[in-house]
Amino acid sequence: MRQEQYISLCNNWSRSPENFLSEELLPVIEQYRLETGKKLPVIWIETNDSGDNNISFLNTSSPYVGRVFQEMIDLLYSNTFMGAQGPDALRLLEYAAQQYRGQFTLVVEGAIPVKDNGIYNIIIKTKEDNLTALKAVRWLGSLAQYIVALGTCASFGGPSSARPNITGSKGVRDILDREIINVSGCPVNPDWFVGTLAHLLMYGKPKLDDLGRPTLFYGFTVHRHCQRRSYFDRQVFAEKLGDIECMFSQGCVGPRTGSDCPYRQWVQGANWPVRANTPCIGCTNKDFPDGSTPFFTPLPEKSSGNDQNPPSPRREVSP
Amino acid sequence: MTERVVFSPITRLSGLLSAEVTVENGVIKEANTSSTMFRGYEWIMRDRKVSDAVYLTQRVCGICSLAHGAVASYLLDQVFDDDLTDNAQYLRNIMFAADFVQNHIRHFYLFSLPDFVVMPNKPPFLNQNLQDARLSAQDNQRLVNHYFEAIKAAQKSHEILVLFGGKAPHQHSFVHGGVAVAPSADKINRALALLSDITEFVKYCMIPDTELISRVYRDYYMLGITPGRLLSFGLFRFGKKNEQVLWGSGVINGNELSSLDLSLIHEEITHSWYEVRPDNDTPQPCLEPSPFKPGAYSWIKSVKYADRFFEVGPLSRMIINGFYRGGTSAMDRIYARTIETSLIVQLMKGWLEQLVPGPPPIEQKTEIVRERVIAITDAMRGALLHSATLENEQIKEYNIITPTVWNFSPKDYYGNRGPVESALEGTKIPSKEMIFTILGRIIRSFDPCLACATHVLDADQKKSVIF
Repeated sequence: MRQEQYISLCNNWSRSPENFLSEELLPVIEQYRLETGKKLPVIWIETNDSGDNNISFLNTSSPYVGRVFQEMIDLLYSNTFMGAQGPDALRLLEYAAQQYRGQFTLVVEGAIPVKDNGIYNIIIKTKEDNLTALKAVRWLGSLAQYIVALGTCASFGGPSSARPNITGSKGVRDILDREIINVSGCPVNPDWFVGTLAHLLMYGKPKLDDLGRPTLFYGFTVHRHCQRRSYFDRQVFAEKLGDIECMFSQGCVGPRTGSDCPYRQWVQGANWPVRANTPCIGCTNKDFPDGSTPFFTPLPEKSSGNDQNPPSPRREVSP
Repeated sequence: MTERVVFSPITRLSGLLSAEVTVENGVIKEANTSSTMFRGYEWIMRDRKVSDAVYLTQRVCGICSLAHGAVASYLLDQVFDDDLTDNAQYLRNIMFAADFVQNHIRHFYLFSLPDFVVMPNKPPFLNQNLQDARLSAQDNQRLVNHYFEAIKAAQKSHEILVLFGGKAPHQHSFVHGGVAVAPSADKINRALALLSDITEFVKYCMIPDTELISRVYRDYYMLGITPGRLLSFGLFRFGKKNEQVLWGSGVINGNELSSLDLSLIHEEITHSWYEVRPDNDTPQPCLEPSPFKPGAYSWIKSVKYADRFFEVGPLSRMIINGFYRGGTSAMDRIYARTIETSLIVQLMKGWLEQLVPGPPPIEQKTEIVRERVIAITDAMRGALLHSATLENEQIKEYNIITPTVWNFSPKDYYGNRGPVESALEGTKIPSKEMIFTILGRIIRSFDPCLACATHVLDADQKKSVIF
């Protein structure tokens, strides 16, 4: 399958509510693996985060995580999943970084505290030294072929850098002077992450938007594809949580949030926040959470976040 | 002969954890467990609208997010004096239970199992270096297969949560005043079908696998023992005002079970990377992070009840509520977690059958009636407390004490050890190669979650956290 076909597959399936992209991806990946026998070497480090992205990753369905491990990626280091522990894990990290130098994909899950030289997040301690998240990202970031910032904390700072940000936490793109593939979300939808890994494995770097996110998942706003768009267009708004009308009145940030949640939905397409009669809180955004709070206050009246650049409903509303 | 050993990173858990132990003639003489990440979440909560607490505090933890959403909802229920319908109560507990089952299956199979089972020597299991592997080749292979089956069973549990909650982790519908999603026949039916698969997995895999491991590694009933002080805040709240709790709270000290008195909870920072500094703006002193503080070794504060350390978690809940009789060892903790899982899947079925199809069971009041509130529940790993002080709907102070803070407390002023450190102290290490295998088994039996434990500060640590 050529790259154009793959992108068209992703785009088309994400627009069809009857189907799930991952079910379509599986046979493609399987065929690719049989043809090439190639897997993506991955080093995954956890920094200042809640661990929600690794849990969300476990909710991928076609392929399940077991098949991702067996057929798509060689997960060489991961604080969450690896069999090794203690010094064995550290040795494996050092070995993998050298052995797969220039070939591995670095996945960073979490923001990077920079205050006090990064002391607020230590990934590994030895008798002699502390490997801080800051040091690890600089070291591994200089050796990786691709860098994937997993989740909104790693992409843009996210909740870990929410005001007053006393640890000086930042997204990976503010630490390293090189291209970062941002797969944002709080948490990430597993399809966005596994789909990005699949793209890297089969076709290399995906097309990115101006925030460094794969356009095939973040290219359209939630608002554009929302099932409740007709209510918005007719100015029929929910009076409270639990109502079936447009959630703009309840604080919905869908008009300025790039994501395919309305079609893709979460965990076997079971549901998504607006369908659950609550607002989208814009968790894929650069200014999440501060730009989305107060969560239940309508978009034009939201006060927090970067006051010099208040969110406006018009500016980023796509057609 | 004395040797200092650094165990870092302690993998297969949520967040970042290290331990430093001193081994003297093959026995652990001292252990310091160290949480090495700090986010300052309590600072993040300040000066925000109180209704943000449910969604924002869920971001404290990815593996137990709904526990934070639940306790923040209980807190807001008090702030607004909401009334909960029967359907709201059942739905909330179904969702909470689904997140419990997800957590317990993932902990047992993905995190704990590789402490006892030889995994295939390929990524992500390279360098597993499991010493003291005792299962027959046949049993070992069966449990490896169940590792991959567990991924599906846990995912189905999150599918139930998403059906009613919109998203997982970090659900949307369980908020103050009830649940925003309608319990409709199709959703109830889909949840029952998923639950039936999960129940089969628990019955035919998780229970026999736990029994097998507890039989083959029965010496772990004598290892990782805590001093028999157990505490629970109770689990599964019911009633119009959350006033009833299905599994009761309680405190066990030795053989004595007493009722919980929240005013006996205190926190201290002797060995934590914090210090108290005077604050010009308020009469109270202000607690601040202090990463270079001499003698400190963790971002976790020490939390005590009646001036003693207490273990929290499934084992505490099961013993306090009479579902388990046994000790307080590493294997008791693993066993109790599985017992709890099997009890919860049965409860979920009953609750799903109690739901009456109808509109979303939610009614949110808008007038604030309380400005100093505290809410408690047990979470997956044990006792969880949120407390808040408000001013005109804005949060002035928000304090969170998570289960991992109880279990992984660093030493207090007098040098007394918290539950995990006391479980490690005195452990025999038969050979040098065994040390990380043994430490890993004991530490993971507590199901540590450091993401949860490490962003909380409260001012004026000399006072009780309770109003």
